[in-house]
Amino acid sequence: MTVQANMAGAQPMARRFGAVLPLLKGLVAIAAVLLAVELLVIAFGIRPYVLPRPSAVIEAVLRTPGAYRDAMIRTGLETLMGFGAGALFGIWIGVAFSRLRFLRETIFPIFIVSQTIPVIAFGALVVMWFGNTILAKAVIVFYLTFFPVTVNCLLGMRAVDQKQVQLLRSFGASDREIMRKLRFPTALPHIFVALRIASALGLAGAVVGEWFGDTTGLGVLLLQGMYAENMVAIWASILCSAVLGIAFFGAIGLAEKRIVFWGGESS
Amino acid sequence: MNMPMTYPSTMEPAMTPADEPILDLRKLSKTFGEVQALDGVDLTVQPGEFVTVVGPSGCGKSTLFNIVSGLEEPDNGSVLRFEGQSVHAKHLLGRVSFMPQRDLLLAWRNVIDNAILPLEIEGANKAEARAEAQRMLPEFGLAGFADKYPHELSGGMRQRVALMRTFMFKRDLLLLDEPFGALDALTRTMMQRWLLEVWQKHKRTVLFITHDVDEAIFLGDKVLVMTARPGAIKLARTVDLPRPRSADLVTSPEFISLKRELLDAIEEESMKTFGPASH
Repeated sequence: MTVQANMAGAQPMARRFGAVLPLLKGLVAIAAVLLAVELLVIAFGIRPYVLPRPSAVIEAVLRTPGAYRDAMIRTGLETLMGFGAGALFGIWIGVAFSRLRFLRETIFPIFIVSQTIPVIAFGALVVMWFGNTILAKAVIVFYLTFFPVTVNCLLGMRAVDQKQVQLLRSFGASDREIMRKLRFPTALPHIFVALRIASALGLAGAVVGEWFGDTTGLGVLLLQGMYAENMVAIWASILCSAVLGIAFFGAIGLAEKRIVFWGGESS
Repeated sequence: MNMPMTYPSTMEPAMTPADEPILDLRKLSKTFGEVQALDGVDLTVQPGEFVTVVGPSGCGKSTLFNIVSGLEEPDNGSVLRFEGQSVHAKHLLGRVSFMPQRDLLLAWRNVIDNAILPLEIEGANKAEARAEAQRMLPEFGLAGFADKYPHELSGGMRQRVALMRTFMFKRDLLLLDEPFGALDALTRTMMQRWLLEVWQKHKRTVLFITHDVDEAIFLGDKVLVMTARPGAIKLARTVDLPRPRSADLVTSPEFISLKRELLDAIEEESMKTFGPASH
């Protein structure tokens, strides 16, 4: 009875294992790197002030898990808000640009100029406008996210096969239908490339944004670690940022696999 | 006095005024900047007729099709009549079924949803369109492939999906632009025979571009040979071979003599483009 139950359960188990296998490989690789660093630090007698042992860093996180957890939630939320708004706005404006030549020729150059302003300078401005709120950081993330998305969305729309446009027109399709049924799906793989870039940029924006003044967040922990000259605390914040970054990147990769299932090559 | 009336079957279709042609082109010209692609094409297609067009490469066949499908306007002075009315090319958008050389399937749509694309654009009920496509699958050799995506299909199958899409767009005139050009010889022969079956069953009018003379004769009621650029109709021949046509037709004397004649005409035109410069 139990044997049979086990046999029946074996198939889905194997499939589930297959899905987590890449993740598992990644974790093993990270563990191996951490172990190597640990051994190097010990072998060469590197002082903790230069490079602390990874085990000490992890220990520091585990000693006060609440602080790091709260910081990750806060920074994660800032990134998520700004990223979501930036992605939607970027796609929307990309679609508008591709349809309206007038907009493309007048507003787009302004966008490009806006992106030459260093995020630090822009950050000071945003804090003046929105204060030390979560919104201020979200705005910084938004500013960093929407531009690559707009550019790639526009690029993707233009990568469309003119023969396919002609085919749809021969069926009597309007510009709107061609946009919905052809241009936008064609642009999706390009948009996802931008989203992956933007996720890393956005997280960096959120961390930097917190330097302008806040009480929680990974940027705050980094700053505190720096002022206290606490190398272990700095590395612990870096570790948490990395975990957050990987989580974002992974989530986008997962969504991409689901949505752009055809592999991005238009026929 | 009775004599000419006795053999109406041997007459050219264009000479019987009983049927109004579905498509009637006169002095159709098209110039792109300096290049003249078409120069005075005269062509009529009767309802239910299968007309094939052959010609040397670069003779403006595709330009001709782009005009008839409504994507390009001909030069001023060209006459374009469709179903008995003089029209602008752009009025033909959505009124003829156009199948370009490549299948142009949408990678994110499965077989069924690719096939119903024109119906969707027409505003048809999606569920009904899907049900109809489902019924048509076996006829197009696609039974069991409803949920497959283009990247999971072979070249021949993709072409059949594209043909199914063209047939589902129920217009009287079908424009097929070298639909089998990219297929291997064996698949190609199978597809030709299959196309004739489908055509006879659905009773549509077909204008078919090819560069393969065998294909043009095997399929057509009438074969038109185009001149080298600027394109015009050099030669029109009625194919008086019985239907349904079988594979061994291509070795019959009638087929061979017609092929000889058409090949000579094409060769003459090709020499104008590729032959040794005589000036």
